Amino acid sequence: MKKTLVKISIIFVCFSINLSAQERYAIISNKNLGHLSLSQIKAVFLKKVSYIGDTKMIPLNLNSRSKIRKSFEKNVLKMNLSRLKSYWIRQHYLGHRPPITMKSEESVKSFVKKIDGAIAYINVKNIDSEVHILYEWSD
Amino acid sequence: MNKIITLLLGLLIYLHAEEENTYKLGNGVQIASLPMYIGGYISMDYYHTDDENRYRIDDIAFLSYGNHNKFSYMLEVEFQELYTITETDGHTVTQNNNRLEIERLYIDYNANANYLLRVGKYNSPIGFWNMLPINILRETTSSPQSTYVIFPTFTTGILTSFSSFKHEEYEIDILLQHNQDLDSNYNNYVVDEHYGFGITYTTKNDLHLKVNAGVFNNIPHNGLASQNLYYALLSAKYENNNFEFIGEIGSQRSKHEATTNYAWYTQGLYRFQEKHITVLRVESYDDKMNNNFENIAIIGYTYRPTYPIAVKVEYQFHSNWSKNKFLSSLSVLF
Repeated sequence: MKKTLVKISIIFVCFSINLSAQERYAIISNKNLGHLSLSQIKAVFLKKVSYIGDTKMIPLNLNSRSKIRKSFEKNVLKMNLSRLKSYWIRQHYLGHRPPITMKSEESVKSFVKKIDGAIAYINVKNIDSEVHILYEWSD
Repeated sequence: MNKIITLLLGLLIYLHAEEENTYKLGNGVQIASLPMYIGGYISMDYYHTDDENRYRIDDIAFLSYGNHNKFSYMLEVEFQELYTITETDGHTVTQNNNRLEIERLYIDYNANANYLLRVGKYNSPIGFWNMLPINILRETTSSPQSTYVIFPTFTTGILTSFSSFKHEEYEIDILLQHNQDLDSNYNNYVVDEHYGFGITYTTKNDLHLKVNAGVFNNIPHNGLASQNLYYALLSAKYENNNFEFIGEIGSQRSKHEATTNYAWYTQGLYRFQEKHITVLRVESYDDKMNNNFENIAIIGYTYRPTYPIAVKVEYQFHSNWSKNKFLSSLSVLF
């Protein structure tokens, strides 16, 4: 019985460690923007939508080497790098530009706070009370 | 010809200068800090049949676009079939076309998230292929016949679009033309009226379904009489990270008879590595107006060393074997 309890405890601890190791990310805006569905968020980042209501939308990307950006493209946009490249080349022909790229989570967060319509993705642990969470996901 | 080469060299020097800072091939460049971007594309192709060889600089095109507040614009001008050498039975014919054609010129007004109003000359939003018709954006050098025979590929007039992305994605387009083409040399039909609509529905799994219908007045040219032609087209497209399937089927008739009984194609492509793509397309059409009937199967391969550069080869098997053809092309988007 003792051995079984020890085994269960070890499994529980391992599982907890695994859970805590899983990174959580969020798409954020400032507090003036209302709720957006996941389809709307995708449409904004793929520049299919320029306005929500009367607010001009400004999606922001992190650097292409960013781990968060890779997770965002895989889990939210559900597109791999070559498909995204193909998508943005086609958009160039149609007159649309890819989102602006910023270097750090800090810079996107301060941009989002100041500019209505700006949306970006950052690690949940970097979120503060001045931003509004639109969507959360984990790796 | 010299002027064109000078223009191209000037542009390449400019792009090279920009490359030091932010330029990436295939993304165009911003002019100073203005809401204006320029870019373009080039394509060259070669085909071989039993009777003929043709070498061609097919397209040299320049794009300019930008937006300010709710307005945006697009301009595309092009030298089409700039330089062609055709060899037939030992005879060689060389042709030049230095005329700069207006391919697209329009202004958009984005009223809000859902409504868009477009005025000018634009790609008719019919089917999926016609929205991205240039060599560099597709995976075969050739385009299916159904994309030429059913409807006018360009419309000069008004387009209104309603789209919704809230839960599932759909779009309704209404297109209206009641005037001459902005550049009638650059359209597959010479039209002075065109009315049509389209409904596109996209599922969460990236399956796109589209229905289009409309009518246009084909004004007399090349011995064809003026007449109203009615068309309908059904299209479907599915795309994931490795595969893409696309199919379109359409029909066209005049008031009294079928002018194209049917024209359809279906194409599958497989990205077996990031830079390597294989394509298989099957198509068939029965064009009564021009007395053409054919079944065609096409196999192709595309190599993209970087996405904005494409080297393509394809072989076409026609039901009329004498038309079997080998094609290859090089295209670049800049």
